[in-house]
Parts: sequence; structure tokens; C-alpha cells
Amino acid sequence: MIDKKNSYPKFAVVGHPNKGKSSIVSALAHDDTVQIGNTPGTTQVKRGFPLKVDGKIIYELFDTPGFQRARRILAWLEDNRPVSADKRADTIREFIYNFRDDERFRDEIELLEPIMNGAGIIYVVDASKPYGAEYEIEMEILRWTGQPSMAILNLIGDEDYREDWSRALGQYFRLVRTFNPLKAKFKNHIELLESIAQLKEDWTDSIKDAIDILQKFHNQKIDRTVEIIKDTTIKSLSYQYRHKIKSKSATKEEYILASKRYRRELIKYEKKLEKDILEIWKHKNVEMIETAPLINDIGLFSKESESIFGLSQKELILTGASAGAISGAGIDLALGGGTFFLGSLVGGVVGGVGAMVGFDNLYNIKLMGQKIGKRELIVGPMKSHNFPYILLGRALYYASTLANRSHAIRDTLKLDDREFFIEKVIDSRMRRRVENIHSKLRDKKEPNEELLEEYREVILESFKKLI
Amino acid sequence: MHSKNSIVSIKSYLDLSQLLNEYRGSHEDNRTFALKYKNSENKSPTELILKWLDKNYFRIDGELNSKRYLDYLLSISSLLGLIFFILGFIVGLGLLSYDGKLPVNVIYYLFIAMFIPLLSMTLSAISIFATDRVSYIITLLFPLHWIEKLLSYIPFRKKVKGFKINLSFKISRLLFIERLQLFSLIFSIGLLLSLLIMVIATDIAFGWSTTLQVSPEAFHELIRYIAIFWDKIIPSAIPSLDLVEISHYFRLGEKLDISMVHNADRLGAWWKFLAMTTLVYAIGFRLLFWLFTKEYLKRRLEESILSLNGVDKILREFKTPYISTQAPKKERHLKIVEAKKEVVVKKREAKYQTILGWNFSKDEILLANDAKKIDRADNIWAVGGSNSFNRDLEIVKNSTGTVLLYVKSWEPPTMDFIDILEMLIENSSVLRVEILPLGTIGKYYKNEEEHIDIWRRKIESVDSQKVWIINHDR
Repeated sequence: MIDKKNSYPKFAVVGHPNKGKSSIVSALAHDDTVQIGNTPGTTQVKRGFPLKVDGKIIYELFDTPGFQRARRILAWLEDNRPVSADKRADTIREFIYNFRDDERFRDEIELLEPIMNGAGIIYVVDASKPYGAEYEIEMEILRWTGQPSMAILNLIGDEDYREDWSRALGQYFRLVRTFNPLKAKFKNHIELLESIAQLKEDWTDSIKDAIDILQKFHNQKIDRTVEIIKDTTIKSLSYQYRHKIKSKSATKEEYILASKRYRRELIKYEKKLEKDILEIWKHKNVEMIETAPLINDIGLFSKESESIFGLSQKELILTGASAGAISGAGIDLALGGGTFFLGSLVGGVVGGVGAMVGFDNLYNIKLMGQKIGKRELIVGPMKSHNFPYILLGRALYYASTLANRSHAIRDTLKLDDREFFIEKVIDSRMRRRVENIHSKLRDKKEPNEELLEEYREVILESFKKLI
Repeated sequence: MHSKNSIVSIKSYLDLSQLLNEYRGSHEDNRTFALKYKNSENKSPTELILKWLDKNYFRIDGELNSKRYLDYLLSISSLLGLIFFILGFIVGLGLLSYDGKLPVNVIYYLFIAMFIPLLSMTLSAISIFATDRVSYIITLLFPLHWIEKLLSYIPFRKKVKGFKINLSFKISRLLFIERLQLFSLIFSIGLLLSLLIMVIATDIAFGWSTTLQVSPEAFHELIRYIAIFWDKIIPSAIPSLDLVEISHYFRLGEKLDISMVHNADRLGAWWKFLAMTTLVYAIGFRLLFWLFTKEYLKRRLEESILSLNGVDKILREFKTPYISTQAPKKERHLKIVEAKKEVVVKKREAKYQTILGWNFSKDEILLANDAKKIDRADNIWAVGGSNSFNRDLEIVKNSTGTVLLYVKSWEPPTMDFIDILEMLIENSSVLRVEILPLGTIGKYYKNEEEHIDIWRRKIESVDSQKVWIINHDR
């Protein structure tokens, strides 16, 4: 009788202790709350990780404890060996029934139970260590269950014994695949699921559905990340801080205070972006080392940040020049080319000079309302030509680092990648497209829907390059 | 208790804005909500968001901003409504006051009852569709703007100053224009009422007079145009050319045209025309324009409600399937027990009576002996691996003296190993057990510190004086 409610495919990730079972589950379930330790027995009870869509389970993964007394179980099974192979699964059930309350076999019962309830077997080994005959006992027990099974070669260390392992595992398992949960990207996750789909015909459709769902899930995450980066960048670039002043003219302290508060607000926007991105990519427990140019409060406005995430002076001038040339070309076109394309030339020069000025002058501070008595200092919007690229670069770097980080990794995340080059991520063609919106924001103009969409497309394209 | 919001209104707009500041729901909650409403895909986003607002009303802490604002709006609107009605009535009385010497000039009345309303409606229409700046300038032309400014100093206005009303400029402007139409309508009703009362209570002689060179024929033609909306329904409300001619007067001293005096009983007939002009232009058109502004405000509110900060997130979550991959069950975490004694030593015994290899073959043990320069022992046995448990029991029984136990450092100790180790400890012929974790041959048996740590923790938990781990790689 098929229980309709529980007819979705289930998979038990099993194996010797400390072979990365929890890491694999953590990576596949995008869950960094799974305890992963180098102490054997970290996983004490089985734990289900269902892939649910609107409450409906598509498949469920079980993280299980490792085999502890495999020899004794196999000995018991052999002593109770049935006359025919089709009854072996019943012998396993009998073992579970007889020893359910026996503390000695607690781990084995935890791992065998989901299998006997219909879960497919994903047997995990560390292929960076030599093969040993002792594994054959575990594999033999699993063979007795009669459930569809596959083996995963996990490379924990730096040696590679995959060939030896494959030869041995091939005798027990239908499929043998390599999967490194610490390095696995989304693409590898999908490839593994495609392999799992081959285990049993009945499961193929569900796993294919799961692949589609996970693809959508992944695309949703990308879209949301891009949307947040776009919104935050635009909000930061157009932000104006108004600081009321007491006397007719502002004091030096008031200028400094206004400027500090303006910067603080931009930092706040960036922090919010980081929090949202962590949430989108489901990294709840990631610990970070806040290195100076990247995350800490002075980072956003530091020279280091500019040198890592901003454009080089040459690229900046070229970008400014090409954007200026575009507006100049507009003049030429309007005059039917009657200017002999001088407009483009002048526009290019003006744009280039603007870009150079932008290197040191981040934003304007203006004193307003002196005559009408409502005196205030207005800081912003950001006028630096490079700052938008610094903002985008930092956001893209942060988001891509988290998007690429496997949920199996428990090491502290050190955000200090000096290999990040915004010029490669946002090339000159893309820069020309985004410069339109940057110049509008500098001029306190609201970009139209078309420009906003173009901006989103550029961010999406750059983000996809990084993940 | 709050009233349900089934249509977009200022109340629903303000309530939603207040709720969004406090609560936006999780993806799971929002998707579950959307799925509860069958055919939610077919429902408009505005309808869905209003239903979501209704469901989450209880989450708004304290008094509703909308209640305070709408109470204020009602109080101020009632006051202004009364003021405009009285103003309309007084203006009517003023325009129709007849001293018995000169007739009441209908041109004045037409100016107030037709020209001003049409001008005001035109300006309002421009203000609705113009840019924010132009719209603001036009607003300054309306007396209502200045009256409201003055009213901002009255005591109960302070009640709404304490909290921020989150209405966009566009919505505030439309709300102002909508209310302007309402007050103008009330003004016109006052005007019409005063006309009717004056007509009933006094005998008014209407006439028309202008400095411009306008012939009675031209004036009559103009009147026919004005009366175009009712000329078929109430023809008696259109003054005849004859009436227009006899009611034309010139301001020459205090003397009236003799023909006017002769036709004094006919001059009052203008009232029907004036009443219809007021009814059609000042009241009818204004009513239609008011309804239009109300509807337009509703439409813009619908748009604005969807652009409130946070609504896009909720709508996206309504549409997007909620995908979860995580475990609902909380993990039981392993407790790591602190060490009671140091079990790792660097120096090993010089000679062993028994050498065992856990999960090693005998050949592998001999190879390890050679690599580690360990002399042959009395007994060398392979334990674990493919041995049966009974075979291992037998080996343990036969073990004597100091036992060297090779283990694969990378393989953490299983309970199977611990069982054998405990039996070795129990064997009184065994004096000491030295566990030597070996690395892989590829690494010349060199072990890794983290693997030794795993072994150390497990052996510490055995808590025996007989067992030691040898780590001379460090």
C-alpha cells in the first residue's frame, strides 16, 4: 500500500563516522545550522531536511549518525540469514524491532530506520583516504536493505584515492559520484540531484520537479539580491542629509557633523544591504572577520576600498569621457551633425575632467536658506564619479561571496579579497550603460523606469559573472 | 474595533502605511495567506493587500493614525462646510439685495454662479494633471488653501501634529482638490437657497447692465448658450428677447427707463434662469466634478497604496512559492566532555609483547613496524577489518604484556573499536595499551594533529590508566 501523504522520495545520507555526511546534507539543504564537527558522533539522531514548496514536501534528506558497531550487526544478520535474498530486508526490520531499545545499536537503528521506511541510500566516503575492507561490512548491511543506493566520494583531504574507492563501491552501489560539499556550487548540487533521479524510476519526476524548484529558488535569490543592490545603490547615491544650523553661517564643527551623519547614513544603508543578502542566501550563522577596507564603519569611504572596488584613474576617465561623449553626441544628433561632431569631442573632454574631479570630492555640502531664515546644511547627493562603482563593487563582492559559499563551511568568512576587479565585473560596455543613471543621480534627477531596468540588467549581468 | 477595508480609502492607505512600519510578515506567512484565498491569482493586488491589512490589523500597536487624522479631517471639514454654506448664503443675499431703486444686475449673479465655478473647476482640473510645482502654485489661488492655513492655528489641529501623516504630495493635493469641490458645492447650495428665499420673501426686479456695447440680441444669444442644457426641458427658464430688451438698463443718475417701470411685474421672471444656472453650473457641474475627483483620488490611492514601502515585497511573496529546505526539528548538539587526564605521550615503549593493527592486514602491520623501526613482537595480529567479532575476542584474550595498537589516524574510533579496547583493558594479562595512530602511506604514516585530537578525546572518555596514545610525529 502506498501512503500518498508520504509518497515523496526520501534519502538517507549514511556512512562511517566523520566522512562528511552532515556537510553534504548542510550543502544540499542550504542550512548552516547543521552541527558539523570533527568529533565522531556529532550527529546523534537522524534529522530530516524536507524540500518543501508551499508546505508540500518534494523530497526529504535525512542526516544520520555514522555506523558504530557494523560488524556485530552483520554478525547478527548472518546468524539470522533468511533462505532467500528477498527476505533480507525483513531480517533488518527484525533487527530494528529487537534492538530498538538497545543503547549499543542506537546509531545504527537511527540510520537504518529511514531506509527501511523507503529512503534511498546515499553512502558517503572520504575518497582522500585509502579504501579499507572494514567498509565492506557497512556496505553489505546496506545491501541487505534492498533499497536503491548510490555512493558519494567526498574529498575531505588533499590526497585522491577515488579510483580505488570507485572499484570497490561499484560492486555495491548503482551510482558513484564525486561531490565536495565545501566547494560545491549550485551547478554541482543540481548535477548530484540529476544523479539521484536515476536511482529509482518512481522518483525521477519528483526529483526533476525538485530541480526545477531549486532552479527557481536560486533565480529568486539572484533577482532579489540584484534588486536590493540596485535599490540600495540608487538610494545611497541620491541621498541628501539636511542639517539644521543655529547661526547665520555654519561652523566648522557643524560642517564636520553634517558630513559625518551623511556618511553614517550611507554606511547604515550598506549594513542593511548586507543583512538582507545574508538572509536571502540563508547564511544564518556565518561569522565574519571585518577587515578594514571592506566591512567596518570606515571601510566604505577608505582609500583601500576605493583602490579595491573602485575604477582605476584611467578607467574612470575613460568612463567619464565616454558618458560625456554620449551626451555630446546627443547635441550633434539634435543639430543633425551640423557641429561636425564637435559636441562629442567637447562632451568627452568635459566628462573626463568631471571624472578626475570626482576622485577627491565625494559630495557637496551646501548652506541653504540663509535669506529666508530656515538655515540648513545640505550634504549630498554623491558627486564622485567613482563612488557608485565602489558601492556596486562592495555589494557585488559581498553578495557573490555569500552566494558562492557552501552552507557546509563552518570557517569564519574573511572578506578581504584584493583580487576583486570591478573593471572585469562591470566592463566598459556595461559602464557606459550605468553611467547614464549615475549622472542623473548626481544631478538630483529621478531616473525613469527604462534607465532603472537597464541598471538592474547590468547588475544582474555582473552578478552572474561572479557566481 | 476597526472597520473592514474592502475599498481603497484614505483610512486603508494610512492604516496600511502604519502597519508596514511595524510588520511586513515573513515569506512563509504571506504566501500562506495568499494561498488561503482561492483564486488569489485572479484577485487584484490592491484587493489582496487590503485583505492582508484586515488580517493583520491586530498587529498595529496603539491608536490608529487614520482615526486621529480622519477625526481631525471630519471636524475641520464640518466647520469648513458650515462656513462655506453660510458664505454662499450671505453672498447670495448680498447679490440679490434690492433697494427698490435699481434692479439686481443678473451679470453679477452669473459671475458668481457660473463664471467663478467654471474657472475654479478648470483650475482644479489643471492642478490635478499638472506637475507638482504648477499644481502647488494653482493651489495658492484657492481661498480654501489660506483658510486651512489659518485653521492650522486652532487648538484641535495640534492633535494631529504629534504624528507623521504618511501622505504623498500627490495624494494630499488630490485630497485638497476633492474637498475644495465639496465645499464649493456646499457654497453653491447656500447661494441657491438664498436665491429661492429672496425670490419668495421679496419682490426682486432683475435687470442687466454693462459698460460694454452689448445689444440685447447679443446678450439674449449668450443667455441661450448658457441655457443650452435646459432649453428643451424647462423653456420657461430661458428669458425671452423681449424680457432681455426691457430689463436692459443704463446707469444714468437715479432714473430708470420708463419701459422698465411699465414692465416691472415681468422683471422678476429672471429668477428661474438664475436658479437653473446655479443648479446646473454651480451645483450640477460641481457635483459631477466632485464625483470625478473622488474617483480619481481613489484610483491614485490604489496606485499609491501599491507603491508604499514594503508592499512590493508582500505582493512578491504572495506570488512566489515558499520554498524551504531546512530541518523543522532542532538539532540535539553533542556535548564535548573536558579531559580528566593527559593520554597523549610522545615516547613509546622499547619492546612490545603484542602488536595489533585495527583495520590493518598483517602485511600492513609488518610494513608499519618497519617504517616505525619497531622490533618484532611475540604476537602480531590484525583486528577489526573483515575479522569476525568472535575472532577479535579470541585475539584480545591471547594478548599479553604491553600492547601496541596501530590505528588509522584518519578513521575516528567507532564503538566497535572501543568495545575491543575495553576488553583489552579488562584483560589482566595486558599491562599497557599504546595506541599509535598512523597517517596514510602516501604521507609516510605522518598523522595530522586534528586526527590525533579526535582520538585523544575518545580515549580520554574511556578513562583508563592502561591506555595511551603515542604521537611522536610532534
